[in-house]
Amino acid sequence: MRYLMTTNAGSSTPDEKLFAEMGRFIEELTASGVLLATGGLGPATIRVSSSGDEITVTDGPFAEAKEAVAGFALVEVRSQEEAVELARRFRRIVGDGESRIQEVFTS
Amino acid sequence: MVPVLDTRRTIDAVWKLESAKIIAGLARMVRDVGLAEELAQDALVAALEQWPTTGVPDNPGAWLTTIARRRAVDHIRRSQLLTRKQELLAHELDQQSDPEPDDMLRLMLISCHPVLPTEARAALTLRLLGGLTAEEIARAFLATGPTVTQRIATAKRTLAEQQVSFELPGEEELGARLSSVLEVIYLIFNEGYSATSGDDLMRPGLCQEALRLGRLLAVLAPREAEVHGLVALMEVQASRSAARTGPSGEPVLLHEQNRGRWDQLLIRRGFTAMLRARELGGPPGPYVLQAAIAVCHAQARTAEDTDWAQIAALYGALARLLPTPVVQLNRAVAVGMAHGPQAGFDLTDPLTGDPALRDYHLLPSVRGDLLARLGRPAEARLEFQRAAALTRNAAERTFLLGRAEALAAHVQAGPTLGSATRSFLADAGLDAATVRSYGQTLRRLGLALGEGLPLPELTASQVAEVFATAWGGAAARTWNRHRAAVRSFATWAELAGTADLLERRAEPRGSVPPLSPGGLDELCDRPGLALREQTLWRLLRESGAGVKAVLALNVEDLDLDDRTAGPGIGWRSGTARLLPRLLDGRTRGPLFLTDRRPGPARLATADLCPETGRARLSYERAEYLFKQASDGLTLRRLKPLKGSLNRQLSGAS
Repeated sequence: MRYLMTTNAGSSTPDEKLFAEMGRFIEELTASGVLLATGGLGPATIRVSSSGDEITVTDGPFAEAKEAVAGFALVEVRSQEEAVELARRFRRIVGDGESRIQEVFTS
Repeated sequence: MVPVLDTRRTIDAVWKLESAKIIAGLARMVRDVGLAEELAQDALVAALEQWPTTGVPDNPGAWLTTIARRRAVDHIRRSQLLTRKQELLAHELDQQSDPEPDDMLRLMLISCHPVLPTEARAALTLRLLGGLTAEEIARAFLATGPTVTQRIATAKRTLAEQQVSFELPGEEELGARLSSVLEVIYLIFNEGYSATSGDDLMRPGLCQEALRLGRLLAVLAPREAEVHGLVALMEVQASRSAARTGPSGEPVLLHEQNRGRWDQLLIRRGFTAMLRARELGGPPGPYVLQAAIAVCHAQARTAEDTDWAQIAALYGALARLLPTPVVQLNRAVAVGMAHGPQAGFDLTDPLTGDPALRDYHLLPSVRGDLLARLGRPAEARLEFQRAAALTRNAAERTFLLGRAEALAAHVQAGPTLGSATRSFLADAGLDAATVRSYGQTLRRLGLALGEGLPLPELTASQVAEVFATAWGGAAARTWNRHRAAVRSFATWAELAGTADLLERRAEPRGSVPPLSPGGLDELCDRPGLALREQTLWRLLRESGAGVKAVLALNVEDLDLDDRTAGPGIGWRSGTARLLPRLLDGRTRGPLFLTDRRPGPARLATADLCPETGRARLSYERAEYLFKQASDGLTLRRLKPLKGSLNRQLSGAS
C-alpha cells in the first residue's frame, strides 16, 4: 500500500544537524525501497476554484505559514502502522509541527 | 472509532522495519544466523511484554538492538566452553558499535546460500530480511505454518553444520553468490506476481517484499549490472499490476491491457534501474535481457506499437544464455508476433516433447493462441481445454475455458473442405464440363486431406504436397488444368495464398505444328468434300479464332463486306469466297448446321436454325469429320502460330 505524507512548514528554522539527519533518513528509506518519491513545496500558492461555469484563480497565501504544506513523501509500506512509524521518525527529526498521512489508492 | 495505534500491530510494523538490521548486526558478531535470529526474537518478546504498558520507545530499533545484544552477551557467558575469542566477542557486544554497511549484504548472501534448497532459501530470506512470521510465509506459499517453521529450522541447522562462511566473498565469487540471491528474490516476486495456485491471481505483498529486497540489494551491490537488471524487471512488471486483472479477477493479456493503468512511477523507476545496468556495461546477463524485454513492452504506447522484432531478438539472446523450455516458449510467443503464427508455432513443436513442460499450462495455452490465429479452431480449442485442465489458478482456468468456448462456434459452423467443394461445384456458375473437370481435382484433394478438414486450416503447402504426389509426373497441361481448378476454388472460397505455391507449368508449344498451308489446300481440294467443312476449316485457319467461338457464330453476326464477325474474328479471301454459298440466303441462326434435323425438343432454340430446323454443328462432330479427313489431326492444328497470324494480319492491312 502507498501513503502520502504531507508536512506543514512548522515554526523552527532547519539547521545543519537537521539537514544531516534528514539526509540520512531519506537515504535509508530510499535504500530499503520504501520511499518512492519526495519533495519540498514552494510557499507561493495559487488557488483555482470552480463554481458552476465559473473558474476563479486567486493568489495565496491562504493560511498561516506554519499551516501551509511544505513537503511530501510517497511511501510504499506493508501497513498503516508502518506508515505511522515512519512518520513518527520523521517528526522526531524535524521537531515541532504536523504531518498528515493518507492512503493513496493505486488500483 | 477504530484506534489509530494498536500497540500489537505497531510492534509488528517496527519489527518488520528493524529486524533485518538487528539480525544482520548480531549475525556478524555471533557468527551464527540461527542464534542471531533467536536473540532478536528474544528482544521482540521483551517488546511485546513491555511496550503495551510503557508505550513504544522513541527509537524502537535501538531499543530492540540493545536488548538483543544483552541477550547475546548472556548467552556467550553462559556457554560452558568460554574461549578467549568468545570473551572478546562478549566485550565487543557490550559496546555500542554502529552497524556495518555490509551486514545486510552478508545476511542476504547467507540466507540464499547455495547449500540450501531453493524453497528453504526463499523462506529464510522472507523470515530474516523481510521480518515475516512463519505463518505469513506459509500463507504466501500456500504451505502450513509448521511446515515453514520446520523448513526454516532445517535451513538454519544446515548453515551451522556446513559451517558456511560469514566472510563476504571476493569480487569474482560475488557474482555467482549474488545470482543465487537474485534467483530467490525473483522467485518471491513471481510467487506474488503470478501466484501459481489459489484463487487470487496475485499476492501483492510478496511482490512488494521482493521489490524491497531488490532495491536494497541494488544499494548494497551497486556494481553488479544483473542486480539492477532484476530491479528494472520487477519494477516494470509490477507497474502492470492494476491492469493485468479484469473486473472479476480474470487475467488480462499484456496486449489487451489498458496501458493507462500502468503505474508510470514504477515504469520510470524501472527505466532508471535499466540505465544503471547499461552504464555498468559488459555483456548483458539473463536479468538485464529480461528487463530489456519488459522495457520494450513498457515503451510501446499501444499494443500495436510493440517492437516484436526487437523482443524476439532479445529472447533469442536470452535463450542462448538460459535455454530453458519456458524461455523457449516465451521466445515462440515473441516470434509468433514478429514473424507470424506459423513461425511461432513451429518453435513450440519441439517443446511438446519436453518432460519439464508436460504439466505446464502455458504451453497448450500459447499453442492454442497460435493455432487460433492460424485459423485452426478445432485444434486451438483442444489446446485451451488442456491448458484449463492443467492450471492450478481458478481465475486463469475460467479464462482458458472461455477461450475454448469461444472457438466452439467456429468449429461447428466452419465449412469443411468437403462441404465447400460441393457448394463451389454447385453454386459457382460453372458449365457442366468444367464441373466435371474441377470435380476431379477437388475430389483428389478431399481424399488426400480429408473432406472433414476445416476450410480455414487448408494451407498452401498442404495443397502443394497433394499436387506433387498426385500429378507431379503428369503432363504440363494436366498439371495446369488441376492448378486452374484449385485456383478457381481458392478464389471462390476466399482462401488467400492457397494456390500461390503452385507454379504454372510451361506447356510445350510447337511440338504439334500447325497444318501447313499446302496441307490445308490439299484437304480442301479433295473431291466430294462438303462446302460446310471447307468453309469451317478455311475460317479457322484465316481467323486464328478458337473452334468453339467459330462454331458459335450466327449468320446475323457476320459482316460479309468487312469480312468480320464481331470483335476478334476476321477472315480473308479464301473464306469470303465460300461464305455466300454456305449461307444460301439464310439470314439468321447458326452459321454451321448439322446435316439432319434433331429429334423434337432436344436443343435450345438458340442452337436451331429458324429456317431449316437443323441444329448447330457440334464440336465433337466437327472434330470427328476433320479427323476422318486428315488422318487423325485435331481442328486445333488449323490454327496458325501466333506470330505467323500477326504477320499475316499486318501484311493484309
